[in-house]
Amino acid sequence: MTRRTVLGGSLAIAAGAATSLPFLVPRYDQDRRPGRSRVAIVPVGEYSEKLSELLREGLKLFRLQVARKSILLKPNLVDYIPGAEINTHPLLVTAAVECFRRLGAKRVTVAEGPGHRRDTQLVLRSTGLEQLLRDQQIPFVDLNRDEVIKRPLRADYSGLRHLWLPRTVLEADFIVSIPKVKTHHWSGVTLSMKNMFGAVPGVKYGWPKNLLHWRGIQQSIVDLVATLPIHFVIADAIVCMEGNGPLAGTARRLDRIILSDDPVGADATCTRLMGLVPERVPHIAETAKFLGNMAFDRIDQVAAPVAYPPTPFQTVQDFEHLRAKAVPSRAPLR
Amino acid sequence: MDLEPTCLALLALRLQPSGSAVVLLDAQRPDGSWGSFANDNEASGVTGLAFLTLNTLGTFPDAASRAADWLLDASGRQSSWIWKWKFRTTDTRVRFDPEKFGWPWEPGTCSWVVPTAFALLALKQSFPCCRTGRVAYRVERGVEMLLDRACPNGGWNAGNGVVYGALMAAHIDATAIALLALRSEPGHELAERGLAWLEHQSSSCSAPWSLAWSILALDAYDMFVAPLQQRLATITGPDEIDDTATLAAAALALDCTASGNPFKVIA
Repeated sequence: MTRRTVLGGSLAIAAGAATSLPFLVPRYDQDRRPGRSRVAIVPVGEYSEKLSELLREGLKLFRLQVARKSILLKPNLVDYIPGAEINTHPLLVTAAVECFRRLGAKRVTVAEGPGHRRDTQLVLRSTGLEQLLRDQQIPFVDLNRDEVIKRPLRADYSGLRHLWLPRTVLEADFIVSIPKVKTHHWSGVTLSMKNMFGAVPGVKYGWPKNLLHWRGIQQSIVDLVATLPIHFVIADAIVCMEGNGPLAGTARRLDRIILSDDPVGADATCTRLMGLVPERVPHIAETAKFLGNMAFDRIDQVAAPVAYPPTPFQTVQDFEHLRAKAVPSRAPLR
Repeated sequence: MDLEPTCLALLALRLQPSGSAVVLLDAQRPDGSWGSFANDNEASGVTGLAFLTLNTLGTFPDAASRAADWLLDASGRQSSWIWKWKFRTTDTRVRFDPEKFGWPWEPGTCSWVVPTAFALLALKQSFPCCRTGRVAYRVERGVEMLLDRACPNGGWNAGNGVVYGALMAAHIDATAIALLALRSEPGHELAERGLAWLEHQSSSCSAPWSLAWSILALDAYDMFVAPLQQRLATITGPDEIDDTATLAAAALALDCTASGNPFKVIA
């Protein structure tokens, strides 16, 4: 073993320790939290054509100013495994398109860059989304292969300092994250913020986007969402996934969609609906310090109240500490 | 210029006057690697494909020598002893043997199936026989890594076969590219199983990118691909393919039996 090898090894240990340490020091540019956030929990029994109407009613609870804006819808399309509840349901995606078109959007684009699958069209085709998009003349952009632009990051938890990001995302006026509510074996949960990993281009970072893992998944999520603003969230919590998500978990029904003007508030609420504790999810807890609101007293909960499930979602062993042991059965509705 | 679509397009056009290597020679970085796109200042995991493309288009000794040197020096991060130790002791959620390493997508990250397969194809094409020293060592480790990362039910995905005890599914395109890199290896059970998996999956695949790679791989193994080519020609209209990489891969696949398969590396 040479001195160079030892030095390299020591640096590797130091780097590993730095990225795995909890968020001890604030590393964001400014506190951008809104005074209050609004989260709507809309009961939905099934995936059907009625989703459009339900979503339209839900969106009326928010004063969305999207007329003449270009809207980017970012669903969670990871992979296609028959029978597995992995992806945002295609009917929710097209319902969202219809709603934003009705609200006067200049252009509505659906975009995604799957993390492991290089063949995005195969995922679109297999899930049935490609045909729906074509029938309704909805443009789709593969974010893994879009033109990219180098952007400095507005937080510095990962040490990356900058990322190459897709032009389509950077030029959108209004970004809507449409996650599938799932547990995740590396990040605990995958919700509206983790969903933005799909905006990191495979053409630069590969399949999977392994650099983000090496720099710390929780840290990379924070840096990414500090840089790419999520203006609105429509979370697919009708049929969710628990256990070894995002691919190998099992389906679990919550029969809801969650809408919010604040990704932190949305993700905190989804986490509670899963029977997990958002304060223990590092990327939610940290973004609640400068990007959005996690606390009940800063969230206007509308439509339906937060109801904790009798049994929390299953997680992999590393995230069992997220599961709530004793929680109130209901949180207040404002 | 994006590197992967450029390489695939140049390979598809290799018999045409426009199939010139100039764009690749101009884009090569001083260290011998290629970036993922024109103004990328880091090496890309597609460097192996660029090197293979360059070799296919002509003889460029200086550029080839630098590309080979870069490939022989570059490796997945788990090849260092400290990370091997970490993956053997504290981080065992993904099943893999860190002793068996290949090439990463990005410097400073793990080895993955597709960049490793591209690098192996390029090295095998450049050093077709009598490999010794570093070349032999890296080819052996790369082949071992591909075999180690195979999915238990056959085929390959990005490179995680088993995660938290769950068997992960293979992907058609990654399987095809891995099989192309393993073609010249003595018959191995995992390669045989991957080939059978690919043959089965491609019979119903309707996505042009994956189907094209299937055809290229099955053709390299001397299997009958005419029905698949026929399907590829009809399942998707040209207006439904909006990226150059897929269009070029489809063109290569449709033409591979008539004009040769550039991924059928003799080694």
